[in-house]
Amino acid sequence: MAGLFLWFKNQSSHMTISLHEVVPVPLKEKLLQQASGIWNRDLVFTTPEWIKIKAPSGTGKTTFIHSLYRLRTDFTGEIKWDDRNISTLTAEELAVFRQQKISIVFQDLRLFPHLTAWENIELNRILQTAYCEKERITEMAQILGIDHILQQPAALCSYGEQQRVAIIRALVQPFEWLIMDEPFSHLDKANAGKAAALITAACKERDAGIIITDLHDDDHFDYSRKLVL
Amino acid sequence: MKGLNILLRKLIRTGAGRVRFAMAIVGLSIAMILILSAVQLQSNYNELLRGSGNRDSIANFMVINKILTDQNLKNTTLSDDEINDIKAQPFTDAIGVLHNSRFKASIQSSSAQFPFYTDIAFESVPDSFLDVSTKEWNWEASSGFVPIIVPGMFLDIYNFQFSLSQGLPQLTREVVKMIFFQVNIYDENGVAHSMRGRVVGFSDRISSLLVPQSFMDWANEQYGTAGNKAPSRIIMRTKDPGDPNLISYLKEKNLSTDQDKTRFSRYRQVVDMVVNISGATGLLMLLFAILIFTLFIQLTISSCKEEIKLLLTLGASPKQLSRFLMRQFFPSNIIIITISLAIVCIFQYWASRLLAGQQVHINPYISIETTLTALIILCFIGILNFINIKKYIKINN
Repeated sequence: MAGLFLWFKNQSSHMTISLHEVVPVPLKEKLLQQASGIWNRDLVFTTPEWIKIKAPSGTGKTTFIHSLYRLRTDFTGEIKWDDRNISTLTAEELAVFRQQKISIVFQDLRLFPHLTAWENIELNRILQTAYCEKERITEMAQILGIDHILQQPAALCSYGEQQRVAIIRALVQPFEWLIMDEPFSHLDKANAGKAAALITAACKERDAGIIITDLHDDDHFDYSRKLVL
Repeated sequence: MKGLNILLRKLIRTGAGRVRFAMAIVGLSIAMILILSAVQLQSNYNELLRGSGNRDSIANFMVINKILTDQNLKNTTLSDDEINDIKAQPFTDAIGVLHNSRFKASIQSSSAQFPFYTDIAFESVPDSFLDVSTKEWNWEASSGFVPIIVPGMFLDIYNFQFSLSQGLPQLTREVVKMIFFQVNIYDENGVAHSMRGRVVGFSDRISSLLVPQSFMDWANEQYGTAGNKAPSRIIMRTKDPGDPNLISYLKEKNLSTDQDKTRFSRYRQVVDMVVNISGATGLLMLLFAILIFTLFIQLTISSCKEEIKLLLTLGASPKQLSRFLMRQFFPSNIIIITISLAIVCIFQYWASRLLAGQQVHINPYISIETTLTALIILCFIGILNFINIKKYIKINN
């Protein structure tokens, strides 16, 4: 099915995400007392690295993902996408990054409850120049076993189904980095494996990097780096 | 783009403030009709006042003199200062001085079949103020011939009053222009100097017996004795004889002119009042309509706050959303303003037909000013909508 995909990627460029002594303000006191592979350190992630971040409860996992995606800016230090400090991005520039370079699967999924599963995915496909054909949505839904709920409002789908919808939604847009926050938390092992295979294929096709957080160790992906939050 | 708009329409519902939306539409429609009517009424009035071929063109020239009272008997001349002051007024286009003859004169018939004799006096004005154009309007000392212009009204009085009561024949303008008569001018010793004269035209503008300026200058120089050199009457060309400033100026300076010519002043006050009331009401309503419309936009956006927030999180750009929202709100404005303009068009056409029956001719189509006003208001509302949408998207994010 790779033939259905368009090949936009310029092979020679690698997008970087760099962190310089980042510490979230609300968790500052607590975080500075414990050792961390990420907080208050200098790190550079370069595509196509696949990075696993193991994060025990209370270490600020979701805060980290949201800061990385620039949903929140209440941290000290600096996060850069390529050489741009993300705190200085305008709303329009931010939109371009999110449409073209960075895709995300939220822990809390964030689907539009009134739209059908299919519409939720379709929206992200056509928000920019479509990356893949719309038939690809059905194909991926079939692989993940949710093709029968595509026409249901998202609110009526089970959490596990919604999680798979959110994964497919993240894969129908162009990206260089795929950021995922516990993407398989509500999937059984078999389904998690299928989803991981789908994600692997999509990232390989784009030569994209992965940043994934989870509570535990796992072997869903062939990680190039493992960090502890 | 189409698919995205369908999805966005599902997310950002504009049904939240239907009543407000209906109110805004009704308000905007009435406001637009009032404002456009006011502008159109003003253009119609201007057209009537300044249009060429208008039967009221005589109204653009006014002969002005002092009001004669017991106090200013024998002192009705206009000084240079007074004339210059009139010249300096904004309503004055040009001033021409009426020079009066300072010699005695008479005319008499040169035919025994049709005898008449009368003492007369002449006036002259610069040629540009005349409403008669004829090649015969020049004078040379050697020719012994004086062309004369008389008020058309004089011939009317003769034809419809005098000739009937005296059993005399009625005369057309053409016949009168063929009759030569003798003009006598008396020097200071009372000796008559005769020359031939003939009526070469009739003026509906100036009620005076007119001779060419060059003849007047020569005759006054040659035979002038009596009276003051300063003029008593002037003729004014004005863009708008209905200008209330002109009327109040004349009143203040104790000057008078043909009342009929200033009748537009009263019309104008009425037109001004109608235009002002209609325009002010329209503007006020426009303001309220825009306010309601703004509230409607604000309500719609804040009722979809969560959806907009998530759209932006997923990567929708504020520009994309503004463009989508503009497309939801702005077309209704275009439709309202187009319909209002169409209603004013129909009204104008109907009014022009109605007035044509009364010999008042106005353009059956609406003026450029009216169309421009509609366009400007449309642009204004468009820009305002856009700013509002942008602002509320930002606030709600």
